[in-house]
Amino acid sequence: MQKARIIVGLGSCGIASGGKKVYEQLQQGIVSRGLDLAIEETGCIGMCYNEVLVDVILPAGKTTYKQVIPEMADRILDEHIVEGRIISEWTITQEDEVCLDRQQRIVLRNCGKISPESIDEYMEQGGYRAIEKVIKGMSPEMVVDEITLSGLRGRGGAGFPTGVKWGFANKSIGDKKYFICNADEGDPGAFMDRSVLEGDPHSIIEGMLIGGYAIGANHGYIYVRAEYPLAIKRLKIAIEQARTHGFIGQGICGSDFSFELEIKEGAGAFVCGEETALIASIEGSRGMPRLRPPFPAISGLYGKPTNINNVETLANIPWIILNGADGYASFGTEKSKGTKVFALAGKIQRGGLVEVPMGMSLREVIFDIGGGIAGTGKHEFKAVQLGGPSGGCIPSSLLDTPVDYDSINQTGAIMGSGGMVVMDNTTCMVDIARFFLNFTQNESCGKCTFCRIGTRRMLEILERIVAGNGLEGDIELLEDLAQNIRRTSLCGLGQTAPNPVLTTLKYFKSEYESHIKQRRCPAKACKELISFAIIDERCKGCGLCIKVCPCGAITGEKKKLHVLDVDKCVRCGQCVAKCKLEAIIKVDRW
Amino acid sequence: MGCRCSDSFNRNRLSAILSEYQGKSGGLIPVLQKAQNVYGYLSEDVMLKIADGLEIKPSVVYGVATFYTQFRFSPVGEHIIRACHGTACHVSGAENITRVMTDKLGGLEPGGTTADMKFTLDKVACLGCCSLAPVVMIDNDVYGRLNEARVEEILALYR
Amino acid sequence: MVRVIIDKHEYMVDESATILDAARSNGIDIPTLCHDEQLEPFGSCWLCVVEVEGERRSLVPSCATKVRDGMVVTTKSELISNARKLCLELLLSDHYGDCLPPCQMACPAGVRVREYIDLIRKDRYQEAVEVVKQNNPLPAVCGRVCVRPCELACRRNLVDEPVAIDFLKRFVADWEMGEKGQRGQRGQKGQKGQKGQKTEDRGQRTDGKKVALVGAGPASLSCAYYLAGMGYRCIIFEALPDAGGMLRYGIPEYRLPKDVLDKEIASICEHGVEIRCNTAMGRDFSIDSLMNDGFEAVFIGIGAHGSYRLGVDNDGVDGVLSAVDFLRDMGLNKDIRLKGRVAVIGGGNSAIDAARTSLRLGADEVMIVYRRSRLEMPANEIEINEAEHEGINYHFLTAPVRVIAENNRVKGIECIRMELGEPDSSGRRSPLPVNGSEFIIDVETVIAAIGQFPEIECLTFDEGIHLGRGKTIIVDNGMAAGRVGVFAAGDAVSGASTAIEAIAGGKKAAMAIDQYLRGELDSKQWSKEFNVSKGSLDEVDGSEFEGIEKQARVKMPELEITERLKGFNEVELGLSQADAILEADRCLKCGCNAIDKCELRRYGIEYGVGLDRFKGGKVHHYLIDNSNPAILRDPNKCIRCGRCVRICLEIKGIGALGFVNRGFETTIEPTFCKPLSATECDSCGKCAASCPTGALVDSSEHL
Repeated sequence: MQKARIIVGLGSCGIASGGKKVYEQLQQGIVSRGLDLAIEETGCIGMCYNEVLVDVILPAGKTTYKQVIPEMADRILDEHIVEGRIISEWTITQEDEVCLDRQQRIVLRNCGKISPESIDEYMEQGGYRAIEKVIKGMSPEMVVDEITLSGLRGRGGAGFPTGVKWGFANKSIGDKKYFICNADEGDPGAFMDRSVLEGDPHSIIEGMLIGGYAIGANHGYIYVRAEYPLAIKRLKIAIEQARTHGFIGQGICGSDFSFELEIKEGAGAFVCGEETALIASIEGSRGMPRLRPPFPAISGLYGKPTNINNVETLANIPWIILNGADGYASFGTEKSKGTKVFALAGKIQRGGLVEVPMGMSLREVIFDIGGGIAGTGKHEFKAVQLGGPSGGCIPSSLLDTPVDYDSINQTGAIMGSGGMVVMDNTTCMVDIARFFLNFTQNESCGKCTFCRIGTRRMLEILERIVAGNGLEGDIELLEDLAQNIRRTSLCGLGQTAPNPVLTTLKYFKSEYESHIKQRRCPAKACKELISFAIIDERCKGCGLCIKVCPCGAITGEKKKLHVLDVDKCVRCGQCVAKCKLEAIIKVDRW
Repeated sequence: MGCRCSDSFNRNRLSAILSEYQGKSGGLIPVLQKAQNVYGYLSEDVMLKIADGLEIKPSVVYGVATFYTQFRFSPVGEHIIRACHGTACHVSGAENITRVMTDKLGGLEPGGTTADMKFTLDKVACLGCCSLAPVVMIDNDVYGRLNEARVEEILALYR
Repeated sequence: MVRVIIDKHEYMVDESATILDAARSNGIDIPTLCHDEQLEPFGSCWLCVVEVEGERRSLVPSCATKVRDGMVVTTKSELISNARKLCLELLLSDHYGDCLPPCQMACPAGVRVREYIDLIRKDRYQEAVEVVKQNNPLPAVCGRVCVRPCELACRRNLVDEPVAIDFLKRFVADWEMGEKGQRGQRGQKGQKGQKGQKTEDRGQRTDGKKVALVGAGPASLSCAYYLAGMGYRCIIFEALPDAGGMLRYGIPEYRLPKDVLDKEIASICEHGVEIRCNTAMGRDFSIDSLMNDGFEAVFIGIGAHGSYRLGVDNDGVDGVLSAVDFLRDMGLNKDIRLKGRVAVIGGGNSAIDAARTSLRLGADEVMIVYRRSRLEMPANEIEINEAEHEGINYHFLTAPVRVIAENNRVKGIECIRMELGEPDSSGRRSPLPVNGSEFIIDVETVIAAIGQFPEIECLTFDEGIHLGRGKTIIVDNGMAAGRVGVFAAGDAVSGASTAIEAIAGGKKAAMAIDQYLRGELDSKQWSKEFNVSKGSLDEVDGSEFEGIEKQARVKMPELEITERLKGFNEVELGLSQADAILEADRCLKCGCNAIDKCELRRYGIEYGVGLDRFKGGKVHHYLIDNSNPAILRDPNKCIRCGRCVRICLEIKGIGALGFVNRGFETTIEPTFCKPLSATECDSCGKCAASCPTGALVDSSEHL
């Protein structure tokens, strides 16, 4: 029988929602009440929208409380623990549970379940059994074959078959080989890698050990973003624990396989997600991609054969070894096997991480699991941005597209790392294209002409369009630039940088046209193209808007109609958000 | 904070960092990171010492340091505010949050530091907390689901 | 060795070769900017893209792609040239510089101003004159009468005052005349030119073909000069007794002494040009007759000698003159005397010339009546001021409504006040009469200088010449006038304009005639040449000029007013040698030092790039680094190909230069962005030798 315990979700999302205070409050409460109750922390289970999540595990069963704030701690302890009464209005709902049920959790198998700082809990779930199985009973080539058979494709974006990649590195000759985990998750809108690193770091270490064994590498690097301090902390703890347990170092599991593992902290460059740039960065250089071939499998880090996989890819590895390639391949579609983790964010009801079999439709992911558009039903779905800056915006007409590499590519977007940012009718698609171009031109390493100057020029054109200064011919100019930048950049960043523009042009061209021809933003999102107006009949003169206005643009006495001075207004929208009567609206400015 | 290059304590720490990485390949970025932790930013003097210690050309050290956004070349405030402008935060009003942040910090524009050296405000690409958008990170703490009203609340924790 | 197919031809090449190596070793040109044979392929500029059959990517960088056996490569296609063109346009969109010095760009004839000024600075006057004459065969004339668009464009305006370009040109031209010691010899009527050396050399190419030029003004003189230089036999037919056109019959002696003009014309004749005066088209010959006489091409440079009448009551009475006739009579040495008060109507240079001439002829008082304000006057500012200086009065915003006559002779002129209305479509504010503001000025003479037009009546019969508005001749891009073998330029085409425009047109026509006579006429190539410019003076980043020490422009020594009014002695006396050298030193040496080696420019021309596709986008401005005496560094022209960085680090092992920042803000800078002199640079110059643009240049190449 399990010991009674309380588990607090303390991934970054949990902490950001006040998880630490909840934890402290519960801990104090337990001490002051003298309860025989353990309190533990865990990573993110994916229901970020419900954080802080608190699991109460009693012999009678598990209860999950959602959106817990410190003030709720005492009542949970008193009513639930002491009196045995579940506080049903605070627990997660049936709907929340359905969301979990519809998922297939392989990558996230331990996230939100175990304490990420405990190797024992990882091992209780079968952790490090896969590396043991590999070392004791499989040749490196058998491992490569198994992974190839599973159909696992790289989850970092391009979807290259992992087993094939390992095969190249395995066959490549070198006195030393390297195995790198790319944890430089930089796609805005994607956070599954962070979640796995924070919630289940040992699974990554084990995946790397298996990969290292398969290709003949005994040195590994985890290249992780400096912006993920919690992930780094937990990885460090996990590496030490693994070393103590003999999984890192010399003679792993009694064999002659040895493996050293180091963390390299990224210093802030999105382009380092590109393999050759990442290698340059580990070597201590500017993260400028270089020409391929030679591929890293032949000549990578310090000129040695090198394999690079991303976090999510590696998290699958131990599971595949233990459950077999067939087990894995039973999920997904013909060409896209297994599951995929998606990060749901933006204007979505239930934002967070979900892991589903490949082939599920976008509609199911966004509406059935994600609960559709956030809010009270006032706004409707417009598009989902998939694949970050390399991806594209998929319109509602394509919501039945199955999520697998090839179907998504056909829309013009890419799977990417699986960030799904949902947009409603208040999101301007030209502005979104501008947003991404701003990102890519900031992150361009500056080497190739087209990427360095071309993305900048695209941004400038988009900026003038959203400011209402678009010119006749701008759409054609954007297209010309986009096509040529795709064709003539060294690395994936440049090659895919135009995708957000190309997909929005493909599906939302009329929005571009109304910006250019009518100086009108249909979403009423572009500040230069809108004004605010007070609807007289609705305004009750409460004065809330006056208080919140940063520039004194609204005047009026209490209980009397308020007046908005358009010239003073900076169109920040704070008054709109504040007004409970919806008396302030956005109108076309021109 | 000012330059503390002459501070012998820090000089010793820099030497210690350098000796840890001397002769090792790929040491430049970790050394720059650690040196920045000591000094708060990378002065020309510190970069020259690093170049010397690692036997790398100063132009290469400077080239690497200016490539990555993490490195700074002027003193930073006591607290670093990273206002997330990832996709999710962008569609959830990050622009307004940053603007209010600027207002509340006496007109401090992103990239700058307050005159009292208390806060440095940066815009960053994505903090990976998209489901809590809009998000701001102050030092190592993440604050999510922000609105304009909460900005002052979280700033107050550091004032 | 492997077999590759490049542009449908099969080649055997070394298997370690890249596509670029393979192509180049077989004489196929693929453009590249970032590749240097001393270095490993870098692959940053993407200009060298080619298509490879079966490749995943539609375009691959040829500098970095190794050949494979059986590889099929295409180096020329629409896809490729579009990509290359866009690549160059992008690079040029962030390229801040002046290919050519603005003075040269502004000069209609494209005179290489910076070069001749530099030669003057170095006391190399003969070479300086030769440089001028490459584009302008009348330096002594232009040095006196040019309207100087070069000086308006001179970047020195942003420091203090423009360089006195025109004075310097006159200085060397006068020097040459002095050297030749040919003072006093007039261009003889019907003088036969001697065949020069050049003529013999080029004879084969031209087969001694004959070209007739109608009118001996600056356009024909210029055209003939260059044609003669190419070996053509040139005969100029002039209706008036002497050659020079408006230079002789429009510009007064005090501005352009006739002996200077004579000498300059004589020098053109020496070049192999024959001038037949007193021979008028329409009277003594026609285009048809010229063609029948064996002339294979005809150039029409008849100028604009017709003038408009005032168009008010009594504008035909005695005492009402046209400025053109008045000045022509002066040129014909007729005895003219003026008394009393003279009113000159108009605001152009002819008006001023007529006014200043009147003063010298003994008029008691001379006034200029102009319907707009001083600001709108088309005349040269210097001329406007000089006239005032000599005592001429201006009546601005005043227009004549009627000549008051008594006994068919001028007694006065009734004028009306004007005010400026809204700007019209051309941007000029048109004058509107103020009702009831009429007033009378008592004058004895009225000179109308309100416009000129070509006297095309000499083209009496239909000779197939295209005529346009204002009786001008219409020409195409290559100065062809509608009839095969007939070309035109100068005022006859443009209407009354400047000498330098006529000279430029004449030269351009010479090039076109040469092409025509060789059967290679291609008017497409006459489109505007590709040149990057920092922009007009108000577009230029002024900070670049902040550090330059101010130094006043030299003053032209002038005749005292009292001396001037005694006769027609030249007012401007010419610069002393010391002043000329001092002034030459004021030149900022704008323009790119790498213009001849710049690969970006060469490819830009080759691919026909447009320079304004990305206008309005951000362009970086950096300070120019001249700290190193051997290497001039102008980061404004850097294309970030990194050749310098790699050479300095990888070949020299110095690393004085490095990449800084990233993305659009990437630059190449000396260590810590210091001046180059503060680095370990040993001034070997390898970086400058490799630089494909003018970002790094060997200072010894710098003028």
